[in-house]
Amino acid sequence: MSEYLTRGAAQERAIAKLLHYGTGLASFIIAAGLVVEWLHPSTNTFGLGGGGLIKCGVALLILLPVARVALMLIQFAQARDTAYVAISALVLAIIATGFLAGL
Amino acid sequence: MIGALDGGTGNAVWLFAAAFGASALGGVLGMASGIFIVPILTFLFGVDIHTAIAASLVSVIACSCGSAAPLLKERLTNIRLAVVLETATTLGALTGVFLIGIIPTTYLYLLFAAILAVSAQQMLTRRREAAQTAVPDSRNWATVLRLHSAVPDRAGGAAAPYHVGSVPLGLSLMYGAGLVSALLGIGSGVLKIPAMDTALRLPIKVSSATSNFMIGVTAAASAGAYFVRGDINTALAGPVALGSVVGAIAGARMLMGLSGDKLRIFFVIVLVLLAVAMAMSGFGVHLKT
Repeated sequence: MSEYLTRGAAQERAIAKLLHYGTGLASFIIAAGLVVEWLHPSTNTFGLGGGGLIKCGVALLILLPVARVALMLIQFAQARDTAYVAISALVLAIIATGFLAGL
Repeated sequence: MIGALDGGTGNAVWLFAAAFGASALGGVLGMASGIFIVPILTFLFGVDIHTAIAASLVSVIACSCGSAAPLLKERLTNIRLAVVLETATTLGALTGVFLIGIIPTTYLYLLFAAILAVSAQQMLTRRREAAQTAVPDSRNWATVLRLHSAVPDRAGGAAAPYHVGSVPLGLSLMYGAGLVSALLGIGSGVLKIPAMDTALRLPIKVSSATSNFMIGVTAAASAGAYFVRGDINTALAGPVALGSVVGAIAGARMLMGLSGDKLRIFFVIVLVLLAVAMAMSGFGVHLKT
């Protein structure tokens, strides 16, 4: 059964990295936004204001799992795994439908 | 109620602290804190339930992504199975996005109460390993999709192979889990894990890791739509998500310090009380805080 364990190990490490650093970055941006807002509560929401930073961090968090599915799609494409390219693409399409429906 | 929610600094600190506490305690038992965020926001902070649901989804994503890496490195997550089941969970989430505007608030409260009750019941019963079937049918979905895998042995011994059970049944249960996730702003781990244990017959560690992995994508499908609609109050969602992530890390470290069984009973009591409070809100009886 060792083929199960060797298969995809590098793929899973890459996904782990994306999620780990992605969560770290988004949390850092939200924390920075909260600090900026605490120091300068009146700064405007756009540009470098605290509220704008928090919004950026939240948006990044929401996009992170979507980026993870996109990464998996690329990995399956590199492995020429057509069935799983199609399945990942379907997941992305369903999420995109939700985004578009929100507009 | 702790003041009006104007996104002020004092509030951000309280929101962070509340999410941190819920997440740290939840982390000790290895449970997601998402289910506590909506009751905390509605009862403690007086937030409208729709706003609370949207904000909670962001922290659900943060917790799922934040805890995924170690589980992936231990090779416990079945990522192929996850992406197959995500077609159903995201479709369920999409249905929830369309339904949430139509469903009366009363039903949302009652559904939330029901899910809290199920969580309490699940916390009381211990999960048992599903018996492994000997040889999988060569034409079933799991075989065709190459989903069977193995659990690595930590001590360096031989890996334990497992076969994945009924994929069609798993998919339909996951659709329901995705729907509930979008409607209530929770990760729906409480519905995903039984589906994986019973329908797919996965080893417990694999079903927990795979369920956690899928929760982020499921929540992102609905949170993305709510974000684009402008339904996510980021002044609320930001500190709550940050508190949840930091709390989850702290909770995992506290694991040894606290007695698991006492904490378990405490959580069951809290879940039951919250279920009663949610049901009362659903029937229009409002608690004065």
